Amino acid sequence: MTGNAERSSTVSDTRFPGQGPIRHQPSPQRPEGAAREGQSRKLFKKTAAKIGLYAAVIAICVYSFFPIYWMMISSVRPMERLFLDSSLVFWPPDFASYTSLFQQTNYLVNFMNSVLMAVGTIVVSLVLSAFIAYGATRLRFRGKTTLVASMLFAYMFPPLMLAIPMAAAFRWAGLTDSLWGLLIAHLAISLPLAVWLLWGFFKAMPFDLEEAAMVDGCSQFEAFVKVVLPLSAPGLITVGIFSFLLSWADYVFALILIMSDQQKTLPVALASLLGAHDLRWGEVLAGASLIALPLFVIFIFCYRYFVAGLSAGALKG
Amino acid sequence: MAQDWRIVTLFIGSILVLGAIIGGPLVYAIMLSFYSAKSFVGELQWVGLANYAKAIQDPLFWQSFANGLMIALSAIFLQVVLGVGIALVLNRRFFGQSVVRAVSILPYFLPTVVACLIAQWILDPNYGLLKSLLASFGIGIADWSSQAFTARGTIVLVSVWLWTPFVVTCVLAGLQTIPTQLYEAARVDGAGPWRQFWHITLPGLRSVLVVVILLRGIWMFNKFDLIWLLTKGGPLNQTETLPTLAYRKSFLEFNLGGGAAVATISFLILAGVMLIYLRLFPIDDTKQER
Repeated sequence: MTGNAERSSTVSDTRFPGQGPIRHQPSPQRPEGAAREGQSRKLFKKTAAKIGLYAAVIAICVYSFFPIYWMMISSVRPMERLFLDSSLVFWPPDFASYTSLFQQTNYLVNFMNSVLMAVGTIVVSLVLSAFIAYGATRLRFRGKTTLVASMLFAYMFPPLMLAIPMAAAFRWAGLTDSLWGLLIAHLAISLPLAVWLLWGFFKAMPFDLEEAAMVDGCSQFEAFVKVVLPLSAPGLITVGIFSFLLSWADYVFALILIMSDQQKTLPVALASLLGAHDLRWGEVLAGASLIALPLFVIFIFCYRYFVAGLSAGALKG
Repeated sequence: MAQDWRIVTLFIGSILVLGAIIGGPLVYAIMLSFYSAKSFVGELQWVGLANYAKAIQDPLFWQSFANGLMIALSAIFLQVVLGVGIALVLNRRFFGQSVVRAVSILPYFLPTVVACLIAQWILDPNYGLLKSLLASFGIGIADWSSQAFTARGTIVLVSVWLWTPFVVTCVLAGLQTIPTQLYEAARVDGAGPWRQFWHITLPGLRSVLVVVILLRGIWMFNKFDLIWLLTKGGPLNQTETLPTLAYRKSFLEFNLGGGAAVATISFLILAGVMLIYLRLFPIDDTKQER
């Protein structure tokens, strides 16, 4: 959890009632006993507030994490006890659901499809959005504001307004049931966001740095590649993560554009698993845990980029 | 300063690609809505506004609109109330604050599919955790997906669980912009926590909340995957919304023109509401800092 130090230090400045130093001293006129009673009541109140705070914190943790925990713990429960046993902890974990998932479904193929889509989306979004955002901040032309505003606007389209025409156009172009078509769709949802995030980043970067490089004999293109891009690494990482998330989690476009089992990405494959055999909960939960796992790993290592992107409105949901 | 031709070329090229993959489908969607396309392979036939007329004469269209509005409004309300509440707690100092904050935004990054499957697993009327929990109190439960109220309630519940962290993160950022002196002054004047919240915290969060409610509103109204995964519009169209209706028309009834018309109308409604909203609550750029 890097990057939290500066956040929490600003947080601690905001003092809330009950946290500040005790400022009401008992008035000297009052008799000794009453003063002590007031003191102890204050202490009692403070303790109660503390207990209340920690109760709320624990409630938030349980609310946020328990469903995820329940998914994971159910996925390693022995399959014959899955429907009978609802104990919260047990040992040892049983991976029969996972082996069954791999043996009976195309899960690994679907996993690879998802990885391909995610990598393609990250790479192409990064390249295109870097050129667009850089051009929009450094080139002189009319309609810059319109360009950036239209990015935000595109980000708010109903997904079906893109998916319906894409399905029709891909039929015509021979991209039906093709991962190339799906890649185009994923780019359509990730690019507006990527441009928006990087635009904010490049805009904030002082122009002097490139100018210095150019004075030293670099062309503007070289300055962009050698100075601007390396300095924008945090922005590029944020864009990469959110492009990954959009592609990895996409259900709508994969549902509409992909038909055959071999081409499906994980979200659609998993959803159809439940429809096909209704009681395959063990496999379904194992599959769901495996979709979530890569996200958790990235989340732990890149927490601050998640927060940065999130507060810029990065992920629609 | 001379503009580097490589930068210019790459910029224009990228813009063209972007325009083709976003602008292209948009234009094509509007075009499709004026045609009758009986299937994906058949010829297109110009029908003018017939798809639109048919769409708004369909009672299901208005029912879907009302359903979508109801689901979106209740989800947004709960997300904002819960989000502000959680943010206020997480803004206090306590042991393990940064870890708890991370845990609290975790659901936001889960794919919708995963959240829907977890909900279906917990709420399963035969094998779910809720069933066994309630059974130990001697209470039986029915299938949530068989009744309008519980089906809508489940959709709202899952939406709240998944997307409240967005509100939490934005409100937490907003809370840092409220000057501490205001609270000190209020305490000196004898204002309790409740009055401090109404007179300082809430007004201080106004600009954040205006944006958050707008974004959440747009995304909830456009929501397709969550509803389709949970109920497919059932029972008896009680959770059908405009996005699911557009999907049903296009891909189950193979009426591409009709589906495109529904999607276009719902987009126009959304754009109209957005304009009114921004008129009522103009976004104050000077206060908003990113």
